Amino acid sequence: MDISDILQGLGSRPVDRDPFADGHDDPFAADRGQQSGQADLQALTRVWVNERGAAELLPWPRDGLIERATNRIKQQIELVEQMTGDMDPKTNFSLIIIQTEVERWKFLIRSYLRTRVSKIDKHTLHYLSTPALLERLSETEVAYATRHQQLLHNHYLSSFLGSFPQNLQNLNDTAGGISMISGPDEDAGVFVRGLGSRDVGGEGTVVVRGRGRDGDGEVEVERGEVVVARWSDVRDLVEKGEMELV
Amino acid sequence: MALPLQAGLTPMEVAFLCEMEMVTVVPRQRLESLNLLSGPTPTLRPPHRAPLPLWLALLLKRQRRANILPPPWLLPSSLERILRHETETSPLAFSPPPPHPHPITSRISPTDHISPPFLPSSTADAPPDYLPYHWLELGEILLEAASDDVPEPDRVRGLLRDLREVRMSKMRGSVKGLEGEGGGVSKMTGVGAMEVSEGRGFILGVLDGLRKLGSSREVARREREEEEGGGEGSEDEEMEFE
Repeated sequence: MDISDILQGLGSRPVDRDPFADGHDDPFAADRGQQSGQADLQALTRVWVNERGAAELLPWPRDGLIERATNRIKQQIELVEQMTGDMDPKTNFSLIIIQTEVERWKFLIRSYLRTRVSKIDKHTLHYLSTPALLERLSETEVAYATRHQQLLHNHYLSSFLGSFPQNLQNLNDTAGGISMISGPDEDAGVFVRGLGSRDVGGEGTVVVRGRGRDGDGEVEVERGEVVVARWSDVRDLVEKGEMELV
Repeated sequence: MALPLQAGLTPMEVAFLCEMEMVTVVPRQRLESLNLLSGPTPTLRPPHRAPLPLWLALLLKRQRRANILPPPWLLPSSLERILRHETETSPLAFSPPPPHPHPITSRISPTDHISPPFLPSSTADAPPDYLPYHWLELGEILLEAASDDVPEPDRVRGLLRDLREVRMSKMRGSVKGLEGEGGGVSKMTGVGAMEVSEGRGFILGVLDGLRKLGSSREVARREREEEEGGGEGSEDEEMEFE
């Protein structure tokens, strides 16, 4: 499977309803009908930076963001192909600008998808193990993860697992209270920025309930303020859109 | 095909983000509005100023089709005031970031959750005396690609270097605050993107190391509190430690 296959698959994917869409997490709920390119660029940038910063796989954007962005790029490339027909030096420079921008969008999407693939590769069984985690993957990613795990398991079976006793052949044993399936470190530290909340006062302060070694506490993070915290303490706030990773 | 990079943005990726910042250009040539993916660009008509994303401004600058107006905070006088603030007024904390240009009102608006690089913190009408999130990259990029547009480029270069050194030592010093106090959340108010990118490995390494060393102590404390708290919910317990 290649990036272009995933990108192609995305185009044909039906646009799901956003399970997290309850108003405040969607900064652009107001112009939901026709998402502007600028809003999509901002959303795409945010999901990319978040995904690059987090150790675990974040939920796939269910509002069709990636599909929309891919379609936009496709249309723009068609436009470029039309414009290359008439080689007038004046449109030539416009063409360079348009192509540069398309490359920037393509980089964002490619890096975003590759980051997700690397996380799926690292903990394939973990993400396949519960429906809640599986929900975070896009359809193509589920197909990729399943196939990946199948190939790996078959390879293990034929190379060494097959000669083990039957009861030692599992890859997902939880005997002895220790699960064989390893997941990402959910308590790993992250840099997050407060984006603002509507819950506390008018200043948009976000309250982080943090767990420390010597005591738990609540810390008020102002809008635009960057803090270091444990990922598990801020995960919900990031998913709600009140914070972002930096 | 999987991305072979660690979590967290690399300096190259930070620079890529920085190129989305808006800057103000003075065009030297006409350029009609272009329908880009991120929306139409303004029609460029000399000598009218226009806001453009940095990547596009650089493209125009390299072809001598436009000049870039440096943001007010990049002027030597402003940088000197910020440096004085960093060294004298608050020798431990970073100087504060620029105020958010779109306050949260009772009406839900698309600007509520907007953040750098999409805030207009480096246009010609941005506030002086505040270092925006992408200050270091933006300063370096402008000095490299448009040094003839920046007044006193050598002095600016020197001031940026001084600021960087002062702030790097603060970044290293902030590790002392990572020791479990304040509920394990430590503030880095005013930190810049490149500084986060550079300091991430060290700071998160210290944080995770301390967490692992103190994990047995933390578990013991939590169990003790659970017993003392009795039937009360865990949320009430947490309030005591505020």
